[in-house]
Amino acid sequence: MTGRIFSIEEFSTYDGPGIRMTVFLKGCPLRCTWCHNPEGQTHGVEIVRSPNGCLACGACLKMGELETGSPCLVPASVAVCPRKLIRLCGEDLTPEELIARIEKNLDVLNMSGGGVTFSGGEPLAQAGFVEACMRLLRGKTNRALQTSGYCKPEIFSRVLAECDFVLYDLKLIDDAMHRRYTGVSNEWILENYRTLAASGVPFITRIPLIPTVNDTETNTRAMAELMRSCGVDRLEILPYNKMAGGKYLMLGREYEPGFDGSVEPIVRHEILSEYGIEGKVL
Amino acid sequence: MTQNVKKALAALCSAEYKKQRIDNGEFDMTEALRGVPKKLRRLPMLEAMLDAEKPILWEDDLFGFHRCNKKTPSYVDANGKRIRSNGGNVTPNYAGAIGKGFDAVLEEIDAKIARFADDEDRVEFLETMKQYVAAVYRISDRYRHAAEEAGNTRLAEALGRVPRQAATSYYEACVFFKIITYTLRCASYYHMTIGRFDQYMYPYYQSDREKGISREELLEITELFFISLNVDGDLYIGMQQGDNGQSMVLGGYDKHGNSMYNELSFVCMDAAEELSLIDPKINLRVNKTTPDEIYEYGTRLTKQGLGFPQYCNDDIAVPYLLSIGYEEDEAWDYTVAACWEYIVPNCAFDVPNRATMNFPLMVNNAIHATLENAKDFSEVMEAAKAEIAQECDRLRAFWSPLQNPATINRNYGYLSLFTDGCIEKGLDLSMGGAKYYNYGCHGAGIATAADALEAVRTVVFEEKSVTPSELLAALDADFVGYESLQNRLLSCPKMGNNVDTVDTIAGELMGAFDASLNRKPNDKFGGVWRAGTGSALEYIQSAKRCPATADGRRAGEAYGCSFSPAITTRLNGPLSVIRSFTKFDLKRIANGGPLTLEVHDTVFRNEEGEKKVAQLVKAFVMLGGHQLQINSINRERLLDAQEHPENYPNLIVRVWGWSGYFCELDRVYQDHVIQRTEFTV
Repeated sequence: MTGRIFSIEEFSTYDGPGIRMTVFLKGCPLRCTWCHNPEGQTHGVEIVRSPNGCLACGACLKMGELETGSPCLVPASVAVCPRKLIRLCGEDLTPEELIARIEKNLDVLNMSGGGVTFSGGEPLAQAGFVEACMRLLRGKTNRALQTSGYCKPEIFSRVLAECDFVLYDLKLIDDAMHRRYTGVSNEWILENYRTLAASGVPFITRIPLIPTVNDTETNTRAMAELMRSCGVDRLEILPYNKMAGGKYLMLGREYEPGFDGSVEPIVRHEILSEYGIEGKVL
Repeated sequence: MTQNVKKALAALCSAEYKKQRIDNGEFDMTEALRGVPKKLRRLPMLEAMLDAEKPILWEDDLFGFHRCNKKTPSYVDANGKRIRSNGGNVTPNYAGAIGKGFDAVLEEIDAKIARFADDEDRVEFLETMKQYVAAVYRISDRYRHAAEEAGNTRLAEALGRVPRQAATSYYEACVFFKIITYTLRCASYYHMTIGRFDQYMYPYYQSDREKGISREELLEITELFFISLNVDGDLYIGMQQGDNGQSMVLGGYDKHGNSMYNELSFVCMDAAEELSLIDPKINLRVNKTTPDEIYEYGTRLTKQGLGFPQYCNDDIAVPYLLSIGYEEDEAWDYTVAACWEYIVPNCAFDVPNRATMNFPLMVNNAIHATLENAKDFSEVMEAAKAEIAQECDRLRAFWSPLQNPATINRNYGYLSLFTDGCIEKGLDLSMGGAKYYNYGCHGAGIATAADALEAVRTVVFEEKSVTPSELLAALDADFVGYESLQNRLLSCPKMGNNVDTVDTIAGELMGAFDASLNRKPNDKFGGVWRAGTGSALEYIQSAKRCPATADGRRAGEAYGCSFSPAITTRLNGPLSVIRSFTKFDLKRIANGGPLTLEVHDTVFRNEEGEKKVAQLVKAFVMLGGHQLQINSINRERLLDAQEHPENYPNLIVRVWGWSGYFCELDRVYQDHVIQRTEFTV
């Protein structure tokens, strides 16, 4: 068994307690229009070119020209950049290989009360792999899952049984709106959220706050309602990042979020507190 | 921040005070000094300088002693060279003078004159020291009158006591300090470091507290004092603006393991945080037992974007200094020179950055000399170590005063008054008055050197995918026409990614450096050599002299700063970096020289991020790291600051061991900081 990973971050600061290594799994069933990790969306291996330090020598495009007839990036471009600015995004590792990389740092992770976070993309899209990795880490360090919650409820329960901590994203409560902005229904997401809340596994609820999309009074109220019914009194808010579009360029894609990104999202603390929820802006 | 502090800060930032300065050209004294023997020249120079200075007092100025003359005196020597600078990079014994007062020092000198009555040279030296004190009295008296006239009774009263008598309060002690540092700078000494301020000032601080003076009041004095250390910064430049050597070392441990952090340590950190100025540059002494609270306190300064504190690990520095031959109490009292050079205060006249080991150049020489005929990698490795050993011998010979008399500058210098042993022995600092005369050597570009050897090992000996002649041809061509090979070399394992093969090579090179240099005599009053990991500006300068290297670096491209990964390395992250850079036993080459970590400023958006950075620093110390500086960086802001410097007058970055204003740096140093951020996450 292998998992496809697009990045392993050694010092992620927003993915749970302490110093954490975060494993970003490639591929996501959602297509959130504001996604700032577009390289995590597709499962396929992609070519990424960093714009900084490029000499514009053209060696990379020449490889594409040789192969396809038009100047473009191809896997062979990776090996010819004299500045080594082109890389393949997407690496297949077995659970054992991945854990070997993590184990080198377990002492520091544990010393700081940290651990490992599986993120993405959507880690539950590779649930078997994540479960296997978590099992290998059982008792060795704190294992966290950062998820949209989008997967079959029985799979969610299985992975949850291996989690020490969960970071759970809620986006929109209205299903039609959810479909419109993420491409999928939120039925599983809401069900899994209730499962999580009842499981006793420590977790944090998060919302990426997108201007005019989910910062509305209606959505805030609906979310607060759901959270209260699950006995949750804390919400971490990640305001929309205006720089989100940057990575699309590196992948050669267009960024079309479908809303006005220049507007500041509205944090409705007053509504949250009506429901006894403390909102913390990260 | 109090109103007084706000007022002083505004005055500093407005720079109006600079309009009162006198443009005195080169302040040339060649004519006046004609016929005066070299050893006697420094006294008339300082006298002329101090007598030409006019008191400048800001409104309600608590400290004064601002520079009036733009330049200090100079003369042209027999070879046509203009002589001004008078040495530096030491921590003078401020505490000794502040605790005695100059009247008592004069008495000591008189007693010595009586004792050495038959020794003309010693008497001449001691008489000169008295004249220095007299010149200091003249300027401090003029300041006292000016303060009286301005109705500034607080400063006038303080100057009625210091510098003649010992300070009796924290404020007076700070005024005394200011007089010493101002006059030393007027004597053209540079990089006079502050040292363990929270230790030697604590008795005054504590006694004030016992008299009922509040922490807030003493914080205000500290802040005003810190502001005064930033005044005239443009006149006190080192290699770059901001490189002025005002390092302050806080905390640390004693030989029994007791923490030396006290309330004043925290007052100093609070003051630095509130002011957000580049001086003083704070260093924190830490060790395995340091509680999280200290790291969290320090991280708050990092968050301000000040580029400090720098962390110094007692567990590494002290054993190294003991191995060099410093006595136990001295080693435990260590401090840093202008940047990061571990020195002992008060009694030493070490030159901690005398020479530079250009590691990549040594490795390059070895590769060119042996690669064609080497049977295996170990032959290349051994040749590299032999190059390092030879270079150590060459550097020692070059800087030996026996072979190079130009390195001796015998004069009766004012700094002798602040160096233990000089008055006692009746000998100037430059003539053996101090206790230690050790030389330190930088170790520049260790990562580039190890990466180059690792690439040779990988492609030539392990994979056998590149022939020796092909590699040598690519290096000679600076990779022009060999871009794919360059790419392959850049893809080999690099130091900073926690790969044992390359980290082990780095360790072997450092081991050779240790064995060939540490404790070897320097022929200067019994001094020895010390090997280190610093580079100062040599990560740019020495790199310019190094042709293309086998790691894929092109000719002239900069190395990593001090003890850091090569700037072209795509790093796994900070955990791998700290592991790579703590594998070698750093107690063996601890002349100083930090690892630099660049952390994106968004990490500090909330308290949680701050705590994590604190944990990272702690991990580095626990793993046996010796020294660490952290930059909180935002690449976009730096690029914008290059375009629109007018919008970023207060943007501070850490350069090679000191914090400076980004917009005041030469472009090459700006670019290096920016390039370092390319791979930050």
